[in-house]
Amino acid sequence: MTPTPSLALRAPLKQRIFPNHEWALLLLLLAEVVIFGVTGSNFLTRTNGFEIIRLSVEIGLLALALTPVIITGGIDLSVGSMMGLSAIVCGGLWRDLGLPIWLSVLITLLLGLCGGGLNALLIARFNLPPLIVTLGTFSLFRGLAEGITGAVDNYSGFPASFLFLGQGYWFGFLPPQTLFLVAAAAIYFFLLHRSPIGRSLFAIGFTAEGARYAGLPVARRLALVYLLSGCAASLAAVIYIAHLGQAKADAGTGYELMAITAVVLGGTSIFGGRGTVWGTLLGLFAIVVLQNGLRLASAPAELAGILTGVLLVATICLDRFTSRAARRVAPATISTEELDVKNSQVAVLSVVILAAAAIVAGSNWLLVRTIKQELAPAANPAATATTGGKRITVAMMPKAKGDPYFVSCRKGAEEAAQQLGIELLWDGPTDLDPAKQNEVVEGWITRGVDVIAVSVENQAGISSVLRKARQRGIKVLTWDADAEKDARDFFINQATPQGIGQTLTDEAARLLNGQGEFAIITASLSAANQNEWIKHIKARLAEKYPGLKLVAIQPSDGDRDRAFAETQTVLKVYPNVKLIMGIAAPAVPGAAEAVKQAGRQDVKVIGLSVPSLCKSYVHDGIIESVVLWNTLDLGYLTVLAANEVKAGKLNPGDRELKAGKLGALEVRETDVLLGKPFIFNKANIDQFDF
Amino acid sequence: MAVNLTRYQRELSAALAYLALLMLVAVAAPAFYSFANLRDLLLSNVPVLIVAVGMTLVILAGQIDISLGSQFAICSVAAGLLAKIGLPIVLVLLVVALLGAALGSLNGMLVARLQIPAIVVTLAVMVTLRDGLRWLTEGRWVQNLPRGFQWFGLGQNAGQVLIILLAFSVFALFAWGLQNLAAGRAIYAVGADAEAARLAGISPSLIIGGVFIMMGALTGLAAALNSIRFSDIQANAGAGLELKAIAAVVVGGTAINGGRGTLLGTLIGVALLGTIGTALTFLGVNPFWEKALQGAIILAAIASDVLFTRAKQRRALIQTQPA
Repeated sequence: MTPTPSLALRAPLKQRIFPNHEWALLLLLLAEVVIFGVTGSNFLTRTNGFEIIRLSVEIGLLALALTPVIITGGIDLSVGSMMGLSAIVCGGLWRDLGLPIWLSVLITLLLGLCGGGLNALLIARFNLPPLIVTLGTFSLFRGLAEGITGAVDNYSGFPASFLFLGQGYWFGFLPPQTLFLVAAAAIYFFLLHRSPIGRSLFAIGFTAEGARYAGLPVARRLALVYLLSGCAASLAAVIYIAHLGQAKADAGTGYELMAITAVVLGGTSIFGGRGTVWGTLLGLFAIVVLQNGLRLASAPAELAGILTGVLLVATICLDRFTSRAARRVAPATISTEELDVKNSQVAVLSVVILAAAAIVAGSNWLLVRTIKQELAPAANPAATATTGGKRITVAMMPKAKGDPYFVSCRKGAEEAAQQLGIELLWDGPTDLDPAKQNEVVEGWITRGVDVIAVSVENQAGISSVLRKARQRGIKVLTWDADAEKDARDFFINQATPQGIGQTLTDEAARLLNGQGEFAIITASLSAANQNEWIKHIKARLAEKYPGLKLVAIQPSDGDRDRAFAETQTVLKVYPNVKLIMGIAAPAVPGAAEAVKQAGRQDVKVIGLSVPSLCKSYVHDGIIESVVLWNTLDLGYLTVLAANEVKAGKLNPGDRELKAGKLGALEVRETDVLLGKPFIFNKANIDQFDF
Repeated sequence: MAVNLTRYQRELSAALAYLALLMLVAVAAPAFYSFANLRDLLLSNVPVLIVAVGMTLVILAGQIDISLGSQFAICSVAAGLLAKIGLPIVLVLLVVALLGAALGSLNGMLVARLQIPAIVVTLAVMVTLRDGLRWLTEGRWVQNLPRGFQWFGLGQNAGQVLIILLAFSVFALFAWGLQNLAAGRAIYAVGADAEAARLAGISPSLIIGGVFIMMGALTGLAAALNSIRFSDIQANAGAGLELKAIAAVVVGGTAINGGRGTLLGTLIGVALLGTIGTALTFLGVNPFWEKALQGAIILAAIASDVLFTRAKQRRALIQTQPA
């Protein structure tokens, strides 16, 4: 427990300020700042400092709210889902019911209180374990959000005065949401460390039974922290909406784990009874600065996760050992068993530290390598694409790095970068995550790249950041999916949603001779792109093919195994379905495997996917055709166009772009057209290697 | 033999809920009960069942493991790579289970030896392993597996039977061991009260380390059995699997603080949560509501626990009152 000072004697200053191991975090934070200050581009600037704060507000609010929850020995897994529910309720109240935005915000905060109230009721009143209660509400809140919107609704177009809250600047540099983080930190500081309520929370965390005997209203205190945490989650949701400019059911997915990580890294004991608000803030910034710094140093983003995990274990080990040492000084409080640090324990610790050191060394090596690369062009006159002797840096972002579709785009992009002597940065969210996209673009703006090319997940959200990039003189392209027209210079248009919808529908109609039932396996139910395609598929059906009937749309969550199981069920529930259309890269092979194992030779599979994943099924005759453009060419064209735009050779009003190996391509207004979507089938699929 | 039914109240209520669901489906969508559907349902829940067995052990011992989804992904990819270098499929199963055990032992060491809370350790391990795998594979699938990989090289029907048999023998083995072996009872003892167990001569750190290693090995096995149902291996398998397993264990009546629960309950929990999605599709309900319904089931399961306990306490109170 906390080394609480005895009544007569005050503890030494170090112990009062850093009762846990917060000093280590401070050192870590300093180390991060020094390392990234040297290796990152423009890391130590005022703008970047405030950008880091802007990025940490939503997670920060959750982390602050979780600090007292964890101090009482509880946990709240539902905060991320509460953000999703709050976001769509706020959007719905404002757009569908026509309430003024600030009133909707107020009601949303009340909703957060209600959600927190449900947790509080079950945990404080009925004495149920917090982990399970909030695991239940974790599913419940997210499920309600998806159910209410049909997971399709996407609220955007909020008034500028509201968006200013998340995107604007006070006095030219201060992001307004900083105020909320500071206020929340102050409130929680006084609540936890300067009020009787705070003391009772520590007591409850140390031992709830003891606290009850001491006359503390345990249930009421517990209820309070869960109510506050629900409210903080809905406030985080409001700021999230203002930050991104859109409200969707998937807001805040996975945020609970990041927030818990920050709290625990900040020295709060997961068993309860100790922790500090400033520790949480230090933990929060240690993580956010790490992510931001790695990005500015263009090191792989995965390192952030790996390092966070290692740091988490390492700081706790450190705490274990230093507090053991401290206890050895006061031998009255220890049992003999705790005194001995066993050899095996030392061994484990050494291994962990070695692993951490290896990873740090590895990342440093990567950093050094990137520095060398940046210095290299000076000694490499062969590089063709230069602006004033410096290599052009093109930063390119997919929607999700792990998606096989984007993996193949990257190959093409790298080929072009190599030919043209361009430095290519490739970074983006690991899974679909609009907030992360904004974060990465912000990082690139700070770092100062020459061209940014984005495959846009959320139009309304990212456009404001892209406009900012253009104001700073960075050329902006979009590829794969477009932003708002005035937010970018050119759009590399591989196919419009309408074109995809029509091609898929026409192909389905051709295979079914215009008659029969079919089903769609989509990505996640709230995937924006897929919903757009489905809209056009439905429109095309209504317009041209009255004989075709779309009987089911099932989600696959981008998971092949889920697509497989959903297809199996669809085939049984709708025995007349003669065609399955998969519209996410892993959904098509998943559906094909299900059809193959069911032995249904009368059912055909088509869809939008990457040829390499479907090749064997196409040869087996299960997948009739795959609709896609040449993704290698798309990546290639994007980098090439970036180079042309930067060199001033591609300007608005041009009619044609000479695109190297792709020949001359049409330019329509500010769209560079890759050509029509391509249909891969048995005859031609072997010619493509991606 | 008179079975004390009140001891299995939680299992019973989960079973009743499951029966109700089955009956609803029987009336509204009898096509649900086709052989093919039941077989497919069984097969797709095999990985969840196997990891839920491991999770039951972990939770019974008073611990938790949220890193198993990442372990599952690593083991899946490893199974594919091992098969590609020509290892026979039986050896692949074995090596992958060992790999899982090794990953589990990392958790076990940190939790049992250094006494770091399990949720923190496994949170850290989850993030580290998932991002490490992403870094290495960059999302690429393992393709062009050898012919003998899918279905153990036995063909679809025999392969399916073998997978189901394997899963259920694992389940039966652990269910038996948990009730009848000294080690099994020791898990309950440690979960109920680690200090008391220590005084009774059981080594809590050995048991806790052991359940994490077991969890890892079972995760490896589940990953391998899942992989051989397909012709390629995706790099992001098992996302969210940990929550599915925890939910199934809890719905099946295992106390989250350890010391109480049965594998039979876990089986019912897996069946209930695993059937609901398919049942919804058969009933023609929009899949949007699936997640909300699962959350409601978890809450209902634990809330019913409270009601039962209260009723029991009241009865006990009445009985003990002096006449």
